[in-house]
Amino acid sequence: MFGTDTGRGAKIELRDCSQPLPAKLRCFDLDLTGYQLDRLPDDLHVESRLILDNATRLRSLPANLKVGSLSLRNCAVLDALPEGLECWFLDMTGCEQFSRWPQRANISTGSVILRDCRSLAYLPPWLTRLANLDLAGCLQLQQLPPDLMLTGWLDLAGTAIAALPPHLADTRLRWRGVRIDRRIAFEPASISAMEALREPNAELRRVMIERMGALEFAQQANAQVLDEDTDAGGRRRLLHIPLEQDEPLVGLNCRCPSTGREYLLRVPPKTKTCHQAAAWIAGFDDPRDYHPDYET
Amino acid sequence: MIERKLIYMDAKSSKFWNIRQDGEAFTVTYGRIGTSGQETVKTFASEALAVKEAEKLIKEKLGKGYVEASAPPAEGALPLAAFANINQRDDLFRNAGTFVGMRVVDYAMDKPARSDVAYRFRSDWDDDQIVPALEHFLATPAALEATAIVIGAWFGDESSNTPDEVLDVLIQNRARVPKLTALFVGDVTSEENEMSWITQTDMAPLLTAFPDLQLLRTRGGTDLKLTPLKHTNLRALAMETGGMDASVVRSVCSSDFERLEHLELWLGTDEYGATVRVEDLQPLLSGKLFPNLKYLGLRNSQIADQIAVVVVNSPLVQRLETLDLSLGTLSDEGGEALLHLKDSQLKKLNLHYHYMSPEMVKRLRALPFPVDATTPPDMEVDEEDRFVAVGE
Repeated sequence: MFGTDTGRGAKIELRDCSQPLPAKLRCFDLDLTGYQLDRLPDDLHVESRLILDNATRLRSLPANLKVGSLSLRNCAVLDALPEGLECWFLDMTGCEQFSRWPQRANISTGSVILRDCRSLAYLPPWLTRLANLDLAGCLQLQQLPPDLMLTGWLDLAGTAIAALPPHLADTRLRWRGVRIDRRIAFEPASISAMEALREPNAELRRVMIERMGALEFAQQANAQVLDEDTDAGGRRRLLHIPLEQDEPLVGLNCRCPSTGREYLLRVPPKTKTCHQAAAWIAGFDDPRDYHPDYET
Repeated sequence: MIERKLIYMDAKSSKFWNIRQDGEAFTVTYGRIGTSGQETVKTFASEALAVKEAEKLIKEKLGKGYVEASAPPAEGALPLAAFANINQRDDLFRNAGTFVGMRVVDYAMDKPARSDVAYRFRSDWDDDQIVPALEHFLATPAALEATAIVIGAWFGDESSNTPDEVLDVLIQNRARVPKLTALFVGDVTSEENEMSWITQTDMAPLLTAFPDLQLLRTRGGTDLKLTPLKHTNLRALAMETGGMDASVVRSVCSSDFERLEHLELWLGTDEYGATVRVEDLQPLLSGKLFPNLKYLGLRNSQIADQIAVVVVNSPLVQRLETLDLSLGTLSDEGGEALLHLKDSQLKKLNLHYHYMSPEMVKRLRALPFPVDATTPPDMEVDEEDRFVAVGE
């Protein structure tokens, strides 16, 4: 299963491995992308990079694992990291079950990427000095660790973090990779549609619209009404706002029949009617197939 | 009284600048290393003025890249400053004029060989003479005294030829150059062959054959390899590429170079084969390797910002004298992280050729050590479109 050279400086690639690893395996880098088993041997030694992306059955890692960097992207059932873990770089993008940190661990110096860890509700107090911290899509996170220091950036898109502690006041902020300033992050009510429309950078403009809320933006921007009809929630309208160097914003403005809340649901820019928009939102490719008895 | 001895070495020059202030006057002596130089004396109205002016001049020289000419090195040992080659982007446009402080001269078979210069051996596209010229030199008595050799263009009219044949001649005749301490494999300008097109080879056999080598500098990234090895005398390793494969970094980090003081890796861009990610540098930045490292250069890099935000947190930076992130795409994001170095023991930070704003450059220049944050005059600074100095 291995080449003969597992000598100094070797990188071993074992994609989609479904066999147990040999005892006392030592190597410099180990790429186990697509690993099929639920655990790793306790005596594994990786000097620098351990890659376990898409190890969808992985349930646990060995206690006291020490590596330079650990990549665990899309490990769908991994819910905890082991006690005594040491690394500089950690990437847990898409680990949707991950919720428990070890009591004792040393993850510092490099970057911690926790993008879309939807079950994660807290960060551990021992997280103190990092380069970058990506929390985009960690919907439940409300707070940063008290002693955290960052030399790079903090991505807080979609988190419930409402303010930064004073010692992080100058940290560079990102919103799903787009550089933003403090006001866009923490004072979204101060963004006007005019300001968003004047923003030349299309990526940043999209974030501004997201922060304002698409409905608020459409109302302030005097959207053009492409179509109008009624559904169970009352009047609904298909709205259109042209954007510089970007596809226009087209969205279905409707009310939820049970709560009465008003929404703007973005649809593909070529949509012409409210019915087409509702069909697309319901997942129909061809609007002619969409004949709901009742729209909710 | 102030007395300072500074030296400067790069691919063009090798010079010293000494100042001695005593009372109301100071004496400056300067010139090419190896000569006695020129002397000027200046007298001021007061001692305070003389001190002020001397300190101003010293600061100016340090800003230009001069370094302390520490205690005279032991017999045969090269000073740390001698390991630098390309300091400024524009140095890349010319062949080396000096190498480890010695004048570089193209070897001519019809002239008597000398031992006080570094000979360069190279082929033209229509004149494949590098191997015969090298063999000719190795048979001369001057070879027995030679300390530095420069290998220029070896590939003739086939730009993808490896230097294996040339290096084999050196390895086979290693007994003919017993004092060789410095070797440059690839003194090739972009006019001769783009850095990313130069095909290199495994450097381990060469290092094994020359256990007394102190400096190995290579240029070119294609097929560059280094089978991990132990070398007890290597003090400087410099690998210039337009795109470095991560396997080279793994090999360097798996080698045992107990005396290494100068490590210079040109990481390049992914368009020309760079696969090194900042994660690959972790074993190096951990500080567990190379106990004598004083200079770290991670140059010509597309990931300069990502390196900067991590390197400032690293144990290694706490024991370096020089950090060099020049020739890459460093922007304000990396620059801001480097401000954290204010409490480090660094003596020099080289950020020449960057994409930082004038405000950030000003903040960095306030750090308590010399910071080179110059840019070539023809460089267009656009934060959106950033290119490394050598991307081809």
